[in-house]
Amino acid sequence: MSEPTEVKKTKRPLPQSRILLNALVDSIYQDAWDAESKGEPVGWSTSIFPQELCATFGVPVLYPENNAAGVAARHDSPRFIATSEGELGYSNDICSYARLSIGMAHKMAHDPAYEAPDVQRMPRPTFLLCATNSCFELLKWYECLSRELDIPIFMQDCLFNYTDAKPDKHWIAYGRSQIEHNIGRMEEFFGKRFDWDKFLEIQKISIENARLFDECVMMNDRNPSPLNGFDLFNYMAPMVVARGRRETTAVLQQLKCEIQEHIDNGTTTFGSSPQEYRVDWEGIACWPNLGFNLKTMKKYGVNCVTNGYVGAWSLHYTPGNLDEMAEQYMLSSTNVVNTTTMMGKRSDVANHFQCDGMFCHINRSCKFMTYHMTCGREIVEDKCGIPVVFFDGDQADPTIFNEAQFETRLQSLVDVMKANKEEQ
Amino acid sequence: MADVKTSLAQFEEISSNPQRLLQNYLDADEKVIACFPIYTPQPLVLAAGMVPMGIWGGQCNAHMAGKYAPIFTCSLLRSCLEFGMTGAYKGVSAAIMPIICDTFRGMNSAWRAGVKDIRPITFIYPQNRKDPGARDFLIEELKTVRSALEEISENQITNEALQEAIELCNQRNAAMRTFCETANEHLDLVKPVDRHHVMKAATFLRPEETIERVSALTEALRAEPVCRWTGKKVILTGITCEPDEILGYFADNKVAVVGDDLAQESRQYRSDYPAAASGMERLALHWFAVHGCSVAHDDNNTVRGRMLAQLAKEQAADCVVLCMMRFCEIEEYDQPSVIKEVTRAGLMSFSIDIDQSTTESGQALTKIQTFAEN
Repeated sequence: MSEPTEVKKTKRPLPQSRILLNALVDSIYQDAWDAESKGEPVGWSTSIFPQELCATFGVPVLYPENNAAGVAARHDSPRFIATSEGELGYSNDICSYARLSIGMAHKMAHDPAYEAPDVQRMPRPTFLLCATNSCFELLKWYECLSRELDIPIFMQDCLFNYTDAKPDKHWIAYGRSQIEHNIGRMEEFFGKRFDWDKFLEIQKISIENARLFDECVMMNDRNPSPLNGFDLFNYMAPMVVARGRRETTAVLQQLKCEIQEHIDNGTTTFGSSPQEYRVDWEGIACWPNLGFNLKTMKKYGVNCVTNGYVGAWSLHYTPGNLDEMAEQYMLSSTNVVNTTTMMGKRSDVANHFQCDGMFCHINRSCKFMTYHMTCGREIVEDKCGIPVVFFDGDQADPTIFNEAQFETRLQSLVDVMKANKEEQ
Repeated sequence: MADVKTSLAQFEEISSNPQRLLQNYLDADEKVIACFPIYTPQPLVLAAGMVPMGIWGGQCNAHMAGKYAPIFTCSLLRSCLEFGMTGAYKGVSAAIMPIICDTFRGMNSAWRAGVKDIRPITFIYPQNRKDPGARDFLIEELKTVRSALEEISENQITNEALQEAIELCNQRNAAMRTFCETANEHLDLVKPVDRHHVMKAATFLRPEETIERVSALTEALRAEPVCRWTGKKVILTGITCEPDEILGYFADNKVAVVGDDLAQESRQYRSDYPAAASGMERLALHWFAVHGCSVAHDDNNTVRGRMLAQLAKEQAADCVVLCMMRFCEIEEYDQPSVIKEVTRAGLMSFSIDIDQSTTESGQALTKIQTFAEN
């Protein structure tokens, strides 16, 4: 009998789009460090703040939500969360991105022995940008960062649309007023004039990128889907951190070519397992458990071909039209519209993508998104006639997720989807 | 003495039985508008000829609300939903719901799905309060509330009627503040739970009735000898401090409540509607006058802690007690900063859990006992 040998799995080479994406993200972090070393302003921003403003000023901005996702995916979140809950006294009930980020900010500012994460290291910011479209908690989180670091907040209050209609005129006027007022405040803070021509150019690039991203998302409606749904969690990164940059256009154009190639060749990044079931994944990824989730879903032949979250950065407006821009920022996030609107849209998408079920992440950190699921479940069941199954997890706190529960819930979803297919 | 005791007993009766009061209003053919916490524009309801009644949930083991409201969301709004779904608010014409936190974003959907017979009148407060467009936005937003109330009442809300209602609410606020000041001179007569019942009852009563009853109580207290309180004194902050048992623990341990920043209590009454050309403008300006509140963003981000420290010093309190509503993240985000500012001012502080989904409050008792013994 021969000695057992260790089998090393060879990693698949990254597609060109991922190489471009990684280089882009690295350059964005480097820009921020370069500014910091020269004593120039560096911002931290919520993920759906009008990025067009700082991009026009040429001031680098980093995104704690995006950073928290990356840190959590690399299993490095617990130490920052522990700082927030222990040393600083925050409740473990608040958003785990916030706990991670506040803990990191505190260590960065007050601990000479602070050890930054291995990748995507954030320099200390000199100002904050906060849009309230994703949730109200963001505002409370940024108040804490502002206190911790003693820096100002530029706010874009993107009102939660509690109605089923589009935002009223007075909503848009308030949104526009804030954009204009923020530009004025930034001119003063940065000591620079705002270049309206450059602004127009960045708006055009942002819209082009949104269109390209939408196209990539929609190409996944093929059967079999050319992407595994979790790929989109990676490719939303440039939309979060660099919507207004040409490099993002290059990433998305390359991604689109690669998807088309998969479609033409009948291949998929889902791998060799058959895609027996197509599901709509609702909610943010469980970043610390992404690998387990994907592996388990593959085991049951389940591909999440679409999810609502990645579309939050798809903003479409006419360049130069501040009213439309203000309105778009009030409609973009899944959390800024009411459940009837949101889950109505998701039902339409689930139907278009021929989904067999909906798998919902009851994210302990994202209370309102969870309401969408509990209150919108009946809407999806009525409009799509597909099963909706929940599992518990968290976007960055690994203590919430339970592998056994995830698999059991997935099994129950598969059982119903299988029975439905057999009935057809 | 009898007057004070009788009066306090009446407030307890009202505070503990809002459903009975609601039925009285309905029996008198009044239309009642439920007002969710916090800062609902009650003068609009009054100017429309209807009765505003606060809703503050209550201790309950929710068995219906879980269908729409996740277990890890604010227990107060969860119990409001439970009561809505189980008919406790039957007869109410509508419920005004200001979107002031994420749970309210969810409640807007949950209420629509689960409480079909009570119309929500939703509106939103602007958080970028320093933006030049915020005031005009809020006036327009409040006009949508006005239109809904006009439709329900079938009465037009005139500026004159609104101004009168605002003045009435300001008088009510003044009466409440005077009561709190006077009660602090009579801590032997007004126990923490008595103080709470007066404050809570005022959220259910018509303002004119509150003014009459609270002013009478204040006068009765003034006729009593001033008490030199020898026990400890605290300030309460948070959303609510309920149930009564918890407030009983303070009294049992000779701890008096000499001030509060509770959403259910003083936050309602501490700032008046400012003067302005129109009633609608006055309603809007009120929001911009709110400071040190977890639901209203303030660029001065240590204001709440410093305000509480100042209040504690004015009232010679020893400690600030943070009454943490279970799963209320907006209060949880403020908690470390409040503790830091209060400690910096040389005061003690501790937190107790407030949870409407359980009657268990042993943790609060232990903390209060520990404070009282030190």
